[in-house]
Parts: sequence; C-alpha cells; structure tokens
Amino acid sequence: MKLLAWLVIGAPLLGASAPPILGAQGKPLTVTGVRGVTFGAVFPGVPRVISRTDPANSGQFDIKGPNRSRVLLSFVLPLTMTGPAGAQLPLSFGSSDAGYSQSQAIGSQIGFDPKQPFTAALANNGRGSVFVGGTANPTANQRAGAYTATITLTVTVLP
Amino acid sequence: MKRAVWLAAALGFAASSLAAQGVMVAPHAVYIDHRVRSGSVLLYNPGTEPVEVTISTLFGYPTTDSTGAIMLRTVDAPDSTLPSALAWIQAFPRRLTVAPLERQTVRLLARPPVGLADGEYWVRLVIAAKAGQIPIVGVSDTTAIQVGLTLEVRTIIGVAYRKGPVTTGVVLSQLRAQLLGDTLVTWSRLERQGNAAFVGTVRGTVVDSTGATRATFASPLGVYFTMQPRIASIVGKLPRGRYWLRYEVVAEREDLDPAVVLPAPVARDSVRLVVP
Repeated sequence: MKLLAWLVIGAPLLGASAPPILGAQGKPLTVTGVRGVTFGAVFPGVPRVISRTDPANSGQFDIKGPNRSRVLLSFVLPLTMTGPAGAQLPLSFGSSDAGYSQSQAIGSQIGFDPKQPFTAALANNGRGSVFVGGTANPTANQRAGAYTATITLTVTVLP
Repeated sequence: MKRAVWLAAALGFAASSLAAQGVMVAPHAVYIDHRVRSGSVLLYNPGTEPVEVTISTLFGYPTTDSTGAIMLRTVDAPDSTLPSALAWIQAFPRRLTVAPLERQTVRLLARPPVGLADGEYWVRLVIAAKAGQIPIVGVSDTTAIQVGLTLEVRTIIGVAYRKGPVTTGVVLSQLRAQLLGDTLVTWSRLERQGNAAFVGTVRGTVVDSTGATRATFASPLGVYFTMQPRIASIVGKLPRGRYWLRYEVVAEREDLDPAVVLPAPVARDSVRLVVP
C-alpha cells in the first residue's frame, strides 16, 4: 500500500513540466483524521469530560511527512454543537486538552493548549500523532435530537 | 418526552467506527521558476471514502514570538513592502473531490505583474480536506440525543516563486543555551540576508573538555526575515562538567531537492555549558 502510494505520487512528479532546476521538490505530507472524540452517554446539566489520554474516546490525527521536519499545529474548535431546530450544545476545551506524540503512542504525549498554535517536530521516521479531548456541557434542559460539529486541525509545514 | 431516556444517548464528536480520512499532499513545498510560471501539487486519497478538497491561498511566513516559539504570521492584504505572490498565483481547481485510492492534480498558475523585480515571492497553499458526514450510530430513540462529527484537516504548504538571481544567507548572533535535565534548549537570533528565504538546518554538537562529542541535534529551519527561535532537543543526562555547544546554521535540507535549496555560507557560533 505504501509502495503503491509512492508510485502513484512519484510518477506524475517525474513527468512534471517544471524546469530542470526545479524537479520533484519535496516529500509527501499526509494528515489523517483517525478517530473522533466520543463523549458517550451524557446527562442534562452534567459536563462530560474526555481526556486526551483516553485511548478509546479521545480524538486522534496522524501525520506523516518528511523525517524530523517541523510543523505548526493549530485547531479550529467548535464552541457548540448544532442540533435540532438550531439547538446548541456547548463545548469547551482546556489548556491541556491537546497532546502531541512523536512515537504516536497515546501514553507519551506532550500536552498543549488547543486554542494556541503548537510547533511539533516529526519523528525520525516522519511520523507523529495529535490527540485531543474536550468537555461537553449539556444544559439542564438540553433538547433531544442529533447534534453535529466540526473539529479542524491545520498542519502548516515549516518552512 | 423530555426525560431521562436521552441520558443514555451516545454523545460524541464521532463514532468510534469512523474511518480514517485525509489526503496525501505532494510535494510539501513548491518552487516555481519565472521561466515556467506554473507548478503543480498532487493529491492522493489513501482512504476508503471520497474526500472533498477545497484549495485556497494566503500570505504568511514563519517567525517567532517572544518565547522563541515558531508561529506563522499571516497578512490578509500584504502591501508592496512584502514579497507576496498572493495576488498573482492562482490554483486550479479550487474545489474537487478525490475518490478513494485516486489522485488529482492541482495546477498553480502565476501571472506576475510586468516589471516584477528579481527575487523570491511567497504564497501559501491551503488544502482543506473533508470526508463525508459521519454516520450517527448507536441511538434509535428519537427522543435521545444523537451526535455526529465531520472531521476536517487542513494542510498548508509553502509556494515560492523565483525570478532572476536569488541569493540568501543568515547572520547568527545572541546564541544562548541551557541544559534542563536531559533537554538542551538553545536560543539565537537569525537574520536573513539576500532576496530569498534561507531554508536550511540548525545543527548542534555538545563536546566535552577533551573535545569528544557527547550529543548532537539537528532541526530544519526557514528564516524569512528575522527570527529568534527556541530549539529544545533531548540530549540525555550529561555528567557534571564543562562543555561547549557548537552551533551552526547550514543551507542543507534532507527533505528537499538540493536543486531548490539556495547555497549560503555556514553561520557558526559556540557557547559554554556547565553542568553543576
């Protein structure tokens, strides 16, 4: 699969119409959303906290890029989830609700504030994982129905 | 039936059965030559679901904040004092869907203004990838809360447009270093020279009083104007004694084609370290 991916990527680049001095210019970068944050059962008026170290319920993004390269991580976090007839379910994120792991192990994270940019170095094999938790804050009279939200991770290659 | 029935609802951003989603972007840095005025980026979907991709551009460059952390400074409307290509490099298409195991090419077309001065001009490509709506699972009771999530990932890569002779270099000053447990933290001031970004690597070597190497580190770095980066590296616990940190900034990058890395003189400095 990995070989296939490289072949698919590499073939057109080799034939690209760039001038001789500017050929295939860099390695691929892949950012993958692996697992969303799962809050499980909640109760009206009772906050539900998911830790970034929760192996089953925390969110996870995997990054694969050039070995040892630096990337800037930043989140766009929803303040609420939108439900039936526009009903809102509040969300909050603490100052250590995100974590980064070079080894991609959930148990060896460096915590960071998901509301602030964080510079991460990919591992010697070009990999890294980002984990995120958060808190759902249903109100006492939270309306029943389906609620949705989007969480966005931006990975900026430096430079 | 607003009662506790919904309390057992599955409330979450996403179901745990969510399939991985995202796109592979290649290359991770694009260099366009003025003689060609075009470039391309390849997107590949390694997943099992179609991915909707939106392409946009912005102007920004890496710099550092007061703590030395690297950040991307963006400028919504860059003026003529900034080497921006935001107004004249466009990406096509701007919206596309990449099917599973398929690839698509995004073309970059440059229309530089007449009389553009020699130098390097920058823009950043934002590739936003969103998979389909995640199915809501686990709750069939209409009185319960049901929750789904759409994940989105954005990848931002640099695009550099080069016209005519381009040169770069870096001046290194104000080097400081501190050992904190098993971590070596360095600070320095780096000022770019020439008319193009300095793209290279910081290398550090810790030597003891006999000249023997005790630790090394390397960190890729781009200097677009002036920055004062803080670089932390795990070097292991060093025994008591005096050491020297040899610090150099070289125009070498293992992740880029050497043809696009501009040559520059090596900048060097050293600083003493003491482990009490």
